[in-house]
Amino acid sequence: MAERRKYKKRYCKYCEAKVDFMDYKDMGALRFSLSERYKIMPRRLTGNCKRHQDMISTVIKRARAAALVPYTVTRKTVVTAPFENLK
Amino acid sequence: MRNYENLVIVKPTLTAEEIQQSLKAVEEVITSNGGEIATTDSMGMRKLAYPIEKNERGYFHVIYYSVAPSAINEIERRFRLNEELLRFITIKYDTNKEIIAFKQLVQKAQKKIEAQAKVETPVKAEEKATEEVKAEEAPATEEVKAEEAPATETPAAPVTPAAE
Repeated sequence: MAERRKYKKRYCKYCEAKVDFMDYKDMGALRFSLSERYKIMPRRLTGNCKRHQDMISTVIKRARAAALVPYTVTRKTVVTAPFENLK
Repeated sequence: MRNYENLVIVKPTLTAEEIQQSLKAVEEVITSNGGEIATTDSMGMRKLAYPIEKNERGYFHVIYYSVAPSAINEIERRFRLNEELLRFITIKYDTNKEIIAFKQLVQKAQKKIEAQAKVETPVKAEEKATEEVKAEEAPATEEVKAEEAPATETPAAPVTPAAE
């Protein structure tokens, strides 16, 4: 239940911070919308609005192409380096 | 003229000088195609999120510039021919919000460069200062120890006869 409640409050964090533009190099901002395995978190869990979710998904895809964020995470890399690259 | 940003990842197998040379070559490609470089931001040697061409690390370098949109094709073609680059990413800043963000990013990068320049010069001065301070402190601490040493011995002396 405690874990579920993490996503229960449904408001857009990016709207609250009034984010107009996201930089793909700033990985601290992306971390919120990435799962443990670096999947893009769905809107129904994070509560992001459509506009910011679209921005995030493009930004994350750019960061993936730039080798800042991995595309996939295998079992080995999950164990050895969880969020190591997201400093 | 439109604002663009290029992230370039240079091979880690090169030496530091060769990396700087290849970055100069990259910037020349942009300027020779009529681009005006606003600033550059070197993120340094980083670990890649996944291996590219069997390389685990790479030298990240960001270039903010503005060119005519028609020149981008040629620039990207030249980048693709360059074997020293592991990866490059071109991002355009076109809408009003993006242009504002672009200016902010350029300012941020320039501040970073200025901060680095500032850090480099005082560090040398500080090093000299710390050396002098150490030289001054070294004899002072010895004196303190010398004073402390007899002080600790004196209370110990009366204790031993009492114990006997």
